[in-house]
Amino acid sequence: MAFKTLKTKLLKTNDKHIKNLASIVGGPSSILYHKEDLLAYDCDGFTIHKHLPKAVVFPKNTEEVAELVKYCNENDLPFLARGAGTGLSGGAIPINGEVIISLVKMKRLLSVDLENRRAVVEPGFINLKLTNSIADKGYYYAPDPSSQYCCTIGGNVAENAGGAHCLKYGVTTNHILGLEVVLPNGEIIEIGNNGICDMPGYDLIGLLTGSEGTLGIVTKITVRILKNPQAKKTVLAYFDKVADGSQAVSDIISAGIVPAALEMMDKIAIEGVEAAAFPVGHPKDIEAFLLIEVDGIAAGIDEQINEILEVCKKRNVKEVKVARDEQESARWWANRKTGFGAMGAISPDYLVQDGVIPRSKLPEVLNKINQISKEYGLRIANIFHAGDGNLHPLILFDARVPGETEKALLAGSACLKVCADVGGTITGEHGVGIEKMEEMRFVFTEEEIQAQTNIREVFNPKNLLNAGKLFPSPSRCVEIKTDIKMNKEKEKAL
Amino acid sequence: MSLREADLKVNQEPACTTNSLSLSNYFANDHPDENKWADCVHCGMCLESCPTYEQTGQEQHSPRGRVYLIKSVAEGKLTLNEQFMDPVFQCLDCRACTTACPASVDVGGLIEEARGQIRQAMPLTGAKKAVSKLFLEGLFPHQNRLNSLGSLLKFYQKSGIQKAVRKTGLINIMPKHLVEMESIMPEINTPVRKKYKNENVIKAKGETKNEVAFLTGCVMDVMFSDINESTINVLTRNGNDVVIPKNQTCCGALHVHAGDRETGRKLAKQNIEAFKDSETIVVNAAGCGCMLKEYAELFKDEPEWKAKAEEFSEKVEDISKYLHDTGYEKPKAELNTRITYHDACHLAHGQGIRQEPRDLLLNIPGVEMVHMPNADRCCGSAGIYNITNPEMAGAVLESKMENVPDDVEMISMGNPGCMLQMAIGVQKHGRNQKIVHTVQLLDWAYQKEDQQKGGE
Repeated sequence: MAFKTLKTKLLKTNDKHIKNLASIVGGPSSILYHKEDLLAYDCDGFTIHKHLPKAVVFPKNTEEVAELVKYCNENDLPFLARGAGTGLSGGAIPINGEVIISLVKMKRLLSVDLENRRAVVEPGFINLKLTNSIADKGYYYAPDPSSQYCCTIGGNVAENAGGAHCLKYGVTTNHILGLEVVLPNGEIIEIGNNGICDMPGYDLIGLLTGSEGTLGIVTKITVRILKNPQAKKTVLAYFDKVADGSQAVSDIISAGIVPAALEMMDKIAIEGVEAAAFPVGHPKDIEAFLLIEVDGIAAGIDEQINEILEVCKKRNVKEVKVARDEQESARWWANRKTGFGAMGAISPDYLVQDGVIPRSKLPEVLNKINQISKEYGLRIANIFHAGDGNLHPLILFDARVPGETEKALLAGSACLKVCADVGGTITGEHGVGIEKMEEMRFVFTEEEIQAQTNIREVFNPKNLLNAGKLFPSPSRCVEIKTDIKMNKEKEKAL
Repeated sequence: MSLREADLKVNQEPACTTNSLSLSNYFANDHPDENKWADCVHCGMCLESCPTYEQTGQEQHSPRGRVYLIKSVAEGKLTLNEQFMDPVFQCLDCRACTTACPASVDVGGLIEEARGQIRQAMPLTGAKKAVSKLFLEGLFPHQNRLNSLGSLLKFYQKSGIQKAVRKTGLINIMPKHLVEMESIMPEINTPVRKKYKNENVIKAKGETKNEVAFLTGCVMDVMFSDINESTINVLTRNGNDVVIPKNQTCCGALHVHAGDRETGRKLAKQNIEAFKDSETIVVNAAGCGCMLKEYAELFKDEPEWKAKAEEFSEKVEDISKYLHDTGYEKPKAELNTRITYHDACHLAHGQGIRQEPRDLLLNIPGVEMVHMPNADRCCGSAGIYNITNPEMAGAVLESKMENVPDDVEMISMGNPGCMLQMAIGVQKHGRNQKIVHTVQLLDWAYQKEDQQKGGE
């Protein structure tokens, strides 16, 4: 029972790579290599594909990251970076038995420069902690993925994370001013000049942000911070019909209002959150609710709220209310933001999709998703960043039932096909990872995919860093596709 | 193959769980409950709530990692070996993850069940066995032995031996964390069970409104009998007749935390019997209260006792919640003190009791409450965790102490384990706060009121 982890323990291995990697990070306490320990790293928030890593190493600074990368590169060991492992598309899953470079020990807030509204953080720093560290001075960090309680800003950069408030304020890439990056050969570079991101030449910050850990490992991030809005109000509107709710969304935007957030949840999603840890007592008989937040200078907020209430009434809202105080609005948001995890209360597993569609197509798309649900015999909940058309169908399944995982994957893919077919795309904020590689073909031609793979090769010529993600490689995806097809045919035959 | 693994093979019964096709490496009886981990979708919302993940950054020491490993044994991917034991026994069982979890996954329950399995597969040996047997089997369940130990400690304190041992440095023959513990040992007084042993009912002052049974706790009554005294004072002052059932025993929480579920069951049965005539059972130790409310968990394979346990648990209430719900007289005397409140894990996360004790304190005139950031973060006490895992407990305590406001005179809480640990924290980090139980402050306010009345 004695406590071992913090103390140095002896390496019990003959693997020379483990020994060498351990010596780079300062000894056995900063490396994991036993199967029992590694198992906790065989997937991230996407649990359908799993593979054990070779080892997990915990560097403490940029130099150690660079040394690790150099070592892997020289010894042809595949490797990848991992933050909190909350990603939903499998970006941090070591499908090639990678050495995982965990950045969670690099979790310092290095500096805050309120005058120039920027802060410098290490990649393992938790998203919400940044806002919490500057809140008392009246500032915050805008990108707010639902996992912000626990996800790292490094991971946010890799995935170009979005969030409920990205409708008005933009996604992660709009808030990154500079990056320090370890390239796949171990070289350390800096992009963005001392917080001035708008440098002449190619937009490398834009290229790196959202590259899903395939171009380099970010070791320092300069982010933009914002002054808190002077005023904020939150509205909750219940609808009997999804079509009315989505029409209200379009009307609000057409009225020229830009809410900070404009969220929708459907009936099954509501069932999930109400059965889970943060229920707010939503009625059970509604088809959808909208959660709308407006913020900005105090003057004008009430007019906007009135206008929103009017729109909702025009669209047959069943009940609409404005949060009485901060606490009430916080409860509504906790209910919404824990929506994914809440699915655990009504289903053993879920697969979340991340399609983007033109707002006006919502009723049509939801109908089609409903058909997919029936076709595959799996319940699908919908959580929707309605304002920017980013739809999250949550396909509920039970991995213990043979064949259900495959069905869930196919249903997910079918949902994305629907999104692509109505003129949308396959991911808004969760990334492609391994999950949506195949679906990249819904939106890109073979040539377009090749062109992007060529860019990857400039940075990552040996393809040791996070290989087999983001873009389908011709042979692999055919295999998987055939596999799934065969399974499906087998089921049909039965 | 290590010796332990060889033992494991011998002990291993045929694999069997709820699923007949299963490859499970758990024993058939009382294995971790599949329905508990089926709620976990691996989202990671628990990570930042976990004190051991905060310290290590390693996912096998995080709630979702532990749940995943526990599930992996049932799936046949892991066996009950030492490497699995490490993450399972490093857990503080503080339940903060269940609060953070969107699906309220019962990680604590899974951990306790997994510990039971590990102890079956790998019984303790050597010195660890001796120590564990001494405390868990030889001491806590036996009130008379605890009382004797209490008398011995009292003698140690009063006779001057304590002074001599400390002064001569003789004390340093003990490991450092035990020295720290010795130095904050509260003054030992007469246990209430001894004091009231001839009284069937301690009558309410004034009109009797309710009758409550009081679980005095094992260590609580020896080390903190003054808190038990305060609890009785507060209860009787508010119209409660107090009964101290004679056959009650240790609640078994420490045993269940340590994986000794068999003793846990024995003690649970004894308490269920001892309190069977009581309508309400009041507890002043969060850890005990939480355990009593979870007795049914121990009897998955004994339906008859499970039903009894459920009925029993319904009657259990923490003193702060009991006073809050049944009403109590607001003290009139002013205490004039600045305090802060620490949420005991098994009160806040385990029983969902957060506001009631705070209200109780705020209703005392002159008490000014200063907010402690992360008040519901574990202090590292966690039953006997600070004895078994001193290094991690120390690291968790350090992080706790950083949040204790500088300008308060007292830290109030509702659990004896936390009180000892926080006292170590105060001493180790050069602070000067007095550590008090919530109910003590209320009692003092009443006493002051009576004194003032008497003086008029």
